[in-house]
Amino acid sequence: FKEINTNPNAPVDVQPSLLMRKVLFDYGEQMSYEAFVAGNLLGQYFTAIDFNLFDRHSLSEPQYGGNPWPFLYTNLRDNEIILQKSRANVAYGVYEGPALIMKAYMTAALTDLYGDVPYSEALSGQSGVITPAYDGQEAIYTASGGILDNLNKGIASINAYKGATALDGDIIFSGNRTKWVLFANSLKIKYLMRISGRVDVKSDLQKVLTEGNFIKANTDNAAFRFSTQPNNFRMSTARVGDYNLFIMSLTSQEILTNLSDPRIQTYFRSTTAKPGTYKGLLNGPDASKLSISVADYSLTGSIFRENSDKLSANFMTAAETSLLLAEAAERGLVSASAKDWYERGITQAFEYWQTTLPTSYLSSNAVAYKQNGQNPIEQILTQKWLANINNGYEGWIEWRRTGFPRLKTISASLNNNLIPVRMPYPGTESALNNVQYKKAADKINNNSINAPVWWDVN
Amino acid sequence: QKLTGQVTDKATQQPIAGVSIAVKGTLTGTLTNNGGTFSLTNLKSTDVLVFSYLGYRTQEIPYTGQNSLTVELEEGLALNEVVVTALGLERNARSLGYAIQKVDGRLISDVKAPNFLDNLAGKVAGVNISAGSTGVGSSSKITIRGESSFTNTNPLFVVDGIPINNATVVNNVNDDANGFQEIDFGNGAMEINPDDVAAVSVLKGPGAAALYGTRASNGVILITTKDGVTNKGIGVSFNSTFFAERPFQLPRFQNSYGQGNSGAFKYVNGLGGGINDNISYSYGPRLDAGLLIQQYDSPVSLPDGRTVRGGDIYVYSGQPITPTPFVSHPDNVSSFYQLGHTAINNLAVSGSYAKGNYRLSFSDLNSQSTIPGVNLDRKTLAAKLQFEPVKWLKINSSINYINSSSDNRPATKYGSENINYAMSAWLGRQTDVNPMKQYWQPGLENVQQFSYNYTYFDNPYFTLYENRNSFNRDRLIGNISATADIAEHFRVIVRSGMDYSSEARQFRRAFSSNRFRNGAYAENRVYFREVNTDFLLNYTRNLGPLSLDVSAGGNQMNQQTSFDQDQALSLAQPGVFKLTNAASPVEVYQQVGRKRINSLYALAKLSYRDLLFVDITGRNDWSSALATPTSTANTSFFYPSVSASWVLSNQFRLPYGISFAKVRASVANVGNDTSPYQTTGVFNARTPVFSQPAFSAQSSIANTNLKPESTTSFEVGADIRFFNDRLGFDLTYYDALTSNQILSLPIAQPTGYSERVINGGAVRSRGLEAVVTLTPIQTNSVRWNVNLNFSRNRSTVVSLPDEAGTLTLGYNRIYDNVNQTVWYQVRQGDRMGDMWGTGYLRNAQGEFIVGANGQYIADNTLKKLGNYNPDFMLGLNNQISVKNWNLNFLLDWRQGGVLVSRTLALAGVAGQLIETADRPDAGIVAKGVVNTGTAENPVYQQNTRAIPAETYYRMYYDRNNEENSTYNASYVKLREMSIGYTVPETAWLAQKLRMQRLTVAVVGRNLFALSHMQHFDPEQTSFQQQQFQRGVEDMTYPSSRNIGVKLSVNF
Repeated sequence: FKEINTNPNAPVDVQPSLLMRKVLFDYGEQMSYEAFVAGNLLGQYFTAIDFNLFDRHSLSEPQYGGNPWPFLYTNLRDNEIILQKSRANVAYGVYEGPALIMKAYMTAALTDLYGDVPYSEALSGQSGVITPAYDGQEAIYTASGGILDNLNKGIASINAYKGATALDGDIIFSGNRTKWVLFANSLKIKYLMRISGRVDVKSDLQKVLTEGNFIKANTDNAAFRFSTQPNNFRMSTARVGDYNLFIMSLTSQEILTNLSDPRIQTYFRSTTAKPGTYKGLLNGPDASKLSISVADYSLTGSIFRENSDKLSANFMTAAETSLLLAEAAERGLVSASAKDWYERGITQAFEYWQTTLPTSYLSSNAVAYKQNGQNPIEQILTQKWLANINNGYEGWIEWRRTGFPRLKTISASLNNNLIPVRMPYPGTESALNNVQYKKAADKINNNSINAPVWWDVN
Repeated sequence: QKLTGQVTDKATQQPIAGVSIAVKGTLTGTLTNNGGTFSLTNLKSTDVLVFSYLGYRTQEIPYTGQNSLTVELEEGLALNEVVVTALGLERNARSLGYAIQKVDGRLISDVKAPNFLDNLAGKVAGVNISAGSTGVGSSSKITIRGESSFTNTNPLFVVDGIPINNATVVNNVNDDANGFQEIDFGNGAMEINPDDVAAVSVLKGPGAAALYGTRASNGVILITTKDGVTNKGIGVSFNSTFFAERPFQLPRFQNSYGQGNSGAFKYVNGLGGGINDNISYSYGPRLDAGLLIQQYDSPVSLPDGRTVRGGDIYVYSGQPITPTPFVSHPDNVSSFYQLGHTAINNLAVSGSYAKGNYRLSFSDLNSQSTIPGVNLDRKTLAAKLQFEPVKWLKINSSINYINSSSDNRPATKYGSENINYAMSAWLGRQTDVNPMKQYWQPGLENVQQFSYNYTYFDNPYFTLYENRNSFNRDRLIGNISATADIAEHFRVIVRSGMDYSSEARQFRRAFSSNRFRNGAYAENRVYFREVNTDFLLNYTRNLGPLSLDVSAGGNQMNQQTSFDQDQALSLAQPGVFKLTNAASPVEVYQQVGRKRINSLYALAKLSYRDLLFVDITGRNDWSSALATPTSTANTSFFYPSVSASWVLSNQFRLPYGISFAKVRASVANVGNDTSPYQTTGVFNARTPVFSQPAFSAQSSIANTNLKPESTTSFEVGADIRFFNDRLGFDLTYYDALTSNQILSLPIAQPTGYSERVINGGAVRSRGLEAVVTLTPIQTNSVRWNVNLNFSRNRSTVVSLPDEAGTLTLGYNRIYDNVNQTVWYQVRQGDRMGDMWGTGYLRNAQGEFIVGANGQYIADNTLKKLGNYNPDFMLGLNNQISVKNWNLNFLLDWRQGGVLVSRTLALAGVAGQLIETADRPDAGIVAKGVVNTGTAENPVYQQNTRAIPAETYYRMYYDRNNEENSTYNASYVKLREMSIGYTVPETAWLAQKLRMQRLTVAVVGRNLFALSHMQHFDPEQTSFQQQQFQRGVEDMTYPSSRNIGVKLSVNF
């Protein structure tokens, strides 16, 4: 009987490399799809012309994506198993650092979207904790075992590792542990900036900058390129109709044309009706009152469809790091030249998006740093927004923190013309973890999407 | 006074041993001996003697002082019949202490359905059968006495003593809009051939089924196949049924407005290049208003003089599409469906000889659905052999070989692989479908389809003729048994049987398919083998008025399953469907399963003089599914049953008119194990990453300490007949508690898992069943039999496994969308079958609250939509014969319950349905109230603000709310009807052809229904997550209305 009931289909235990490969790919693939169909709507890069209740800010009624909760926790779970294995078996010690860094990274993705989330009691279903309590975002970021602490521990673990086991299953750095340290330090910059409205992050930020072990070049980016099926970018094989739902937003049109930014040709297509021209639509139209010809508007660029093998799943890039440092410098949080980091960030972003940087771009009226009465913070954040298209929900998250770029009041809002500042907890939480859910939801006006998260002081 | 006498069979004049003779109203009595003789003493002249014997009509004879008496007993009527009970033991119905209902083979094969289960619908009280929704070859779902288990409600099917498989195995799918959709390839028991069935016994409760053990907790369908015993010499029978089929009910559409939004439409490329030609809502210009508009089938003149269609977008470049009249096509959907037909032919040869008998049968079923390109072929070869090499030994063997195949099984549920997505929901009402019959763009055969739209929808002809899901299944069901009378009173039965099936499926997707632009191909192989071997030792003894029948036996079941699917999601060369033509890495899925159950059981039957019967059973199972890698501690479970019946009419003087009365009661306990591999957690292979393997932990937390489920049932019943059995009532009340259920309980995602396997929760099923038989007219030439089956079941959740209070048993959703979901949820005290979903916000009075924009407000809290189970079911079977004419009809009434309709939601939103025909220019004022007060102190006034009709209907039927697309599910259906004429044996033709019997009949199935649902057959099931789901209509295909002729002839 014991033998008959032993499952021959699947192993009861696996190598950490097999889990790691899955976590990195699945997170990257899912988050890139989320970005296209939901994050790019909230960030007002794209608008959706039908099946668009999400674009109209009824965030609990997404038609496509818009519910990252399950895959974030599932990947955190598999990552936790890697972490446990790395600690239980010396031979797997090489995985501890990367697993801690991924834990910090995916946890930040979660809390940045939702605010307070189950964390310290999470991922313990096997030991019988089935209704985990929600932790405050401040603790998730700053407490021992939290995001920043795990990044430090991850770096320390990698630096301390003296064994000979290769880091296998690493599809973003091919096992290069030094690059994991760069990744972790870039994330430290990102998360310190994220909480800089609440916490004095000056010395910690300066320390990272001074040590200089962060992502400085696109060759060190934490990213992987999409390939063909089954490892393709999902929109490349989606139905034409689904792809055609997402067109250029008015916000994108205005920002890109104001800057005369050639990335407009990468992110979007010119209209079929008037080739060579680009046209966007204000976010959140009421589809039942919308009568348009898609041919009059700009669809999204071929990099998201025909040429999606040029697209990368973006975890962290040099451009994002540089622009974060530019902002830190401008705000006086580090001593560095904001202009240098700003221009470096722009250059890296063009390179990342495989678009030639026009020689006049950096000195043009709207782009030239601090010129022509421009608000430098707005300039930096606008460039970061442009660089971060299709990077999860990053454009929207940074708008929540800084208010830049200036997003528009949408056309037919289902949220009283307010732009949401957090994602609602999914319905499954109120059904399956009701007691803990209620405690968390009550603190934010019954799970309101207009209740700012802890770091959001803007 | 002493009386001696003899009892004989009236027909054969042979003496009958064991006849019970009772002095009415006393406990005195005796039995006849082997010579059929008896003697009684101390009789008084007022005494009445009651002669009764299993299978014979009871006779009462007043004692008038005579010394000798000869009594002739007549064989009994229908209800006084022999039925097959657990383990294949034949018993007289009156001796049973639990409910068994028998359906005669004749009734099953009268108006045949391709799915065997459909032949039982309405014919058995307490049995609920719903036909599938994807045309001929769909699975039908059966439950007996409602749903008592959270996870497993399938009854066990047993053919000639051997369990057979009734599983429905679905292909691997991914649930978003990008992959293969689910295909229903049919349920295992659908393949039973009605022409080979002698009788079906339905063992409804655990009391009847206890001896079958763990798999019988939801009842047992016992099927006995025909043998050759009735024929002397050689008998040949042939029967042939031919049905013509039309769609039973198609959606009713509006025909006033064509494709478009806000009144505007122009076709340019079906990709959004025109005006509103991306998504095919029907809120466009008025139809039949003299408008000329570019359409997909409008002509385009090429420079070379050829004319192509507007939709041939890859064939021309820049040439204008000539606008054509924008007119309605009211029959565009109905003309798409074709006249279907089903031919079922059966030829059987049977005979008997001195030492045995045999029967050989061949059946051929050939069905061409009303859905173009969809068919089902089935050939069944059955052989049954019984012989007695020596007086004390009987050998029985039966073997059935079945081959089923189909060129195409259509996809289920919402999505572009289901043609109803393109046809019912999103076909612009102006669309003429005829041009789509030429479904390739000229010169681009196998490369680029031609369609009315290229954004979401495939040309339905292209879907059905090119993107086929075919299968071919071989199945072998056979058994051999030996029965030996090894000594006086002792008998041994040894039996072994197998159900084996092997099925090959192919999934073809042509280039330019919406979900697979570069085509796709998958192969799926499904294998099943179960072998059961059992023995039974039987001891019978008559001890004066007591008779004793004790049996003990054992069974071993070995089950092996495997499932392989290999798929390529893009292909190199168009039109070549081979894995070697893959243009992307081939993905491989493999699954095997093994299970063994060992059992020992015993049964004791005691009867006292045909008055009182008591059965006691006990069974112990050892199931491998409850073993863990380190322990077998939980694998063993024992369950007993006791049942008794008491024939009152043999003991008491009953009021005039009562010809028979019996009461019965039973108590039983049955255990239930689970599927294999629930006790250990594993890691599952996931999509390979850059051709390297990747794994993830399984989403469910395994339980190393699983225990079997247990069902305890109590049942009482009475069988009372009046007026020489012309009116009979068989009533049953039952109460069954299934506890300690094994279930996968959903848990919150932050735990890292989505489910955990646990024991817990209890469901109580209570119900009433009534079988009424009536013979209002019975003369030499006219006979009218009425059979009425009534049942009412309530399955209530007594307790749930955790304090959280809600258990989600499943869900039915559109794509992967959490918010477009019907949740099957229960709370303590709720009924099984409750469905939850969302609707729009209402005030305390239940009125819709209208927002500032004139529209309803989404309310994302789940509300109870209703329960999908009927309040009661009633089947009414009539058989009327006048001389050689026969009229049979079956009415099926299911009262109560609700049904959520996806067709109503989607085709409503799209503006296709008749409900959306009213579109006043002034707009529509949504019924509801506006809050003119504050949020804290609301003041509600009637809404007066009009919104455009398009906005209104798109809001009202929005798929994010289920409430507005919910129907009352009650219906009455004329399910079967036949009118036949039997040519008398004496007729000239019959004599000329040496026929014993020739019957010609007009037969019909699924003829007519009364219901609230005007768009589809009210009988609906859907199919998601590889399982049946009730209560949701999920883009159903039309069922068929069958009318045909049947010819049967016996030589």
